[in-house]
Amino acid sequence: MKISFNLNGKDISLETDPMRRLLDIIREDLGLKGTKESCGEGECGACTILLDGKPVTSCIVNAIHAEGKKIQTVEAIAQTLEGKLLIECFDEANAVQCGFCFPGFLVAAYYYLISDGEPELKKIKNALSGNICRCTGYTKIFEAVINACHRKNEIRG
Amino acid sequence: MKFYKPTSLPSLFQFIETVENKKYFLAGGTDINVQIKNGMIKDGTVIFINHLQELKGIRKVNNDIIIGALTSYQDILKSDLIKSHLPWFGKSLRFFASPQLQSMATIGGNIANGSPTADVLPLLLVLDARLKIMAKSKIREVPCNEFFTGYKKNILKRNELIGAVMIPMNAEQDYQIYYNKVASRRALTIAKLALAGMMKIKGGKIEQIKLGAGALNEYPRRLKSVEEYLTGKQIDRIEVLGIEDILKSEITPISDLRSEKEYRFQVTLNLIIDFINAQKNN
Repeated sequence: MKISFNLNGKDISLETDPMRRLLDIIREDLGLKGTKESCGEGECGACTILLDGKPVTSCIVNAIHAEGKKIQTVEAIAQTLEGKLLIECFDEANAVQCGFCFPGFLVAAYYYLISDGEPELKKIKNALSGNICRCTGYTKIFEAVINACHRKNEIRG
Repeated sequence: MKFYKPTSLPSLFQFIETVENKKYFLAGGTDINVQIKNGMIKDGTVIFINHLQELKGIRKVNNDIIIGALTSYQDILKSDLIKSHLPWFGKSLRFFASPQLQSMATIGGNIANGSPTADVLPLLLVLDARLKIMAKSKIREVPCNEFFTGYKKNILKRNELIGAVMIPMNAEQDYQIYYNKVASRRALTIAKLALAGMMKIKGGKIEQIKLGAGALNEYPRRLKSVEEYLTGKQIDRIEVLGIEDILKSEITPISDLRSEKEYRFQVTLNLIIDFINAQKNN
């Protein structure tokens, strides 16, 4: 089946099995390896992307779900103002250890920054509740996102 | 596996009349894709429905809030209609899955999938929700508590589909409410036990009580005998042993990889008592 969507601002059209995982299309067909696979069951958040602006785990989203939609992966998000701020803050807080979960956290945190952005721990915990990190224990991740919220507010004035 | 994408709701119903073999509706796909990955689904016809706008959205019609079956949990969480008419229902949805799954998962899929642990059902059961069930030339309404007949079994005929969930607009009004989901962690988790409760108290007596249990029996259902036992009782003179006996005769707890049935029985009892105690202190 022919599936068309917009990936990071570029129109894509490809012939594929409609049931294929969006994750595989992004990594294998389109060569964007920033999106990671870990659990493969939608439970860890490593493969998080934005589908029509909403965070989804691309390992349990089918190609057909992307038809006519806008997809943003970590590669594009890392280039945005909020993405850059988050990377800076994760770096400063030492919030990344092995790094495998980081792309997923970056996408989920970016969504929080653009959709809410209040530097409130409870809200941030909820926004990142779909992402699992097995190295850091979350404290530094939350700290990084709180700092990014503050910094974005400063920039906005 | 065969695949079909209908262009409209009428063409969907035309098509399903012709499917003889096992078929699966693909809505948000958050559970079916896990079943496919684990080899639980190998063949059959997959019918994509998630693009059918007719089955999406939240409206107020007469005295009901009507939620289209393909409405995502994120859309329900954000809905002003839900916030103003069914605030407890809306807030309870925050305990479901994760933001990522809430973006994709649909309320109709959660029900039709029929998992004993389906998060939404204990709530719908006590809110007296009804399901709008659609076929090619027929629409019928079925109370949520008559939908399931066994483990992953329901009353849907092979040419039928859940079209919408209907909740009475004033369902929460004048009730004391309770929702507790017990699991191994707080977020992104599957329930070991979930209890939704609604109670009306008058003059220190329980005038009406509704208890909906999830992850307890083969399918989510009301605890009718316990409800009957508690109705009319003085709230500060309820004996735990009495509830325990009734509960024992009423439920058929499941054992699975998450919990044993003995644990589920005890937690159910504890949650019922927790609900009652919370009202005593009010």
